[in-house]
Amino acid sequence: MQLRYVFTELRTGLRRNLSMHLAVILTLFVSLSLAGIGILVQREATVARDSLGDELKILVNLCTDDDPSHSPNCASGEVTADQRQRIEKEIEDSDEVASSTFQSKEEGYQRAYDQAKRSNTQAAFEGPDPVVTVERWPAAYWVTLKTPEHADGIISALEGLDGVSVIKDQRKALGQIFGIMTVLKYGSWIGAGFLLFAALLQVTNTIRLAALARRREIAIMRLVGASTLYIALPFLLEALVAAIVGVALAAGVLAAFQHWGVEKALADHVEFLPWVDWGDYTQALFGLFPPGIVLLGPALTLIPTLLLTRKYVKV
Amino acid sequence: MIRFEKVTKRYPGPGRPALDQVTLDIDKGEFVYLVGTSGSGKSTALRLVLRELRPTTGRVHVAGKEINRMAGWKVPRLRREIGTVFQDFRLLPNKTVTENVAFAQQVIGKSRRDIAKVVPETLELVGLKDKGDRMPDELSGGEQQRVAIARAFVNRPMILIADEPTGNLDPQTSVGIMNLLGDINATGTTVVMATHDHGIVDQFTKRVIELDHGKVVRDEASGSYGFQH
Repeated sequence: MQLRYVFTELRTGLRRNLSMHLAVILTLFVSLSLAGIGILVQREATVARDSLGDELKILVNLCTDDDPSHSPNCASGEVTADQRQRIEKEIEDSDEVASSTFQSKEEGYQRAYDQAKRSNTQAAFEGPDPVVTVERWPAAYWVTLKTPEHADGIISALEGLDGVSVIKDQRKALGQIFGIMTVLKYGSWIGAGFLLFAALLQVTNTIRLAALARRREIAIMRLVGASTLYIALPFLLEALVAAIVGVALAAGVLAAFQHWGVEKALADHVEFLPWVDWGDYTQALFGLFPPGIVLLGPALTLIPTLLLTRKYVKV
Repeated sequence: MIRFEKVTKRYPGPGRPALDQVTLDIDKGEFVYLVGTSGSGKSTALRLVLRELRPTTGRVHVAGKEINRMAGWKVPRLRREIGTVFQDFRLLPNKTVTENVAFAQQVIGKSRRDIAKVVPETLELVGLKDKGDRMPDELSGGEQQRVAIARAFVNRPMILIADEPTGNLDPQTSVGIMNLLGDINATGTTVVMATHDHGIVDQFTKRVIELDHGKVVRDEASGSYGFQH
């Protein structure tokens, strides 16, 4: 296949429909940026849930030797096997509890260390005489509630038990945070959805105009036996160029958001939450589910172009 | 080369069919006039040969292939065997004469070397050897039609279809175009020409197929135009 004509046509087409292509690129750029932010917020919710638990979970820390809570429940030092059995039974018997898992000192320590590393605050875990050690880290139960509203019974039952150091109940705070994240996520996806629809219509218009401008060439190409692919190729390449520019701009905006928005601003000011990192950024770009912007952009321009050119350049 | 077997073409909507049980045979190397009034079915017949249309019933064979059941992706290859010329020339106004002719080769993937060899040869054949750098609007009607014929013939098709090729030309220029079509026919290319130009049909005597209301009403090996309009 001789591609000289295709590339000449691509250049001409891009120049001829410059304003339409710019409109497609700008709409794609904004919509893909919003879609990318939606993906990042969803990743953030996952990251936060992984480390803090969700609004259905409460964390029951067990006593350690020299427990920092100075709770009377810890008067006998490190939690004993008997005490653990009582606590476990109390959790199992509660109507408010859906399930529970035990987290050993080692698991809890590792989890905290990973989190600290993620936000680059692992100094307390390292060095010759670290402040945080496995021995000092409490074993715990993660208790999953049936509903976030009903936890008073189990909390009051556990509070008085020997061997229970602290009960971390972050239902309200986490519920609000996750609520905000859900609104942000769906808000940006709905916004992205509308704009992507607008981009789709613009792509359709652009192809219609381009087909009109090239109708003589197309008619001659069909008559002399050019293949459908050859006739459609300039259209597909124009769509691909628009998609690539749109994706590149959106990737830039997301990178800026990750660098200045998340790492330089949010992560510094809101330290109790772990934040999305560059791995999550890569997911927003190249992920399969939900589809990253690198998939979304070309799909949104190439699929309608393929469908429409089949109509306009049908042999 | 071209065979219609009981071909009927009916367009959507009421009314008689555009072609009604048409059977005809055109051999390799023949020169055939397709005559008839407007609406007699000439253009429909030509479009069926190009597989721009499919018959409602019957079969169309072109270059040994039954084309009404041909898969869509094979149609471009069929069209490379057919050159087409129109009354209104259909040249690309922003390309030179050479570029217009070369376009037909570029888009089917011919190499630059082939194009550089064949295009000047074809321009010489149509008598436009020295006008390759001209733009279409710098040429007369007859010259523009010669460019269109060069473009139709540059891929050396087996069949040349000409739809009213002299329709926009004065009689003297028309004679030049007919001589050129005769030269192309002499190379073995089958020529099918739809026309209203009775002067030309009577002057350059060839086989005449007359269509009327979608039916073949006359097929003479060496005929005249036959009716006046």
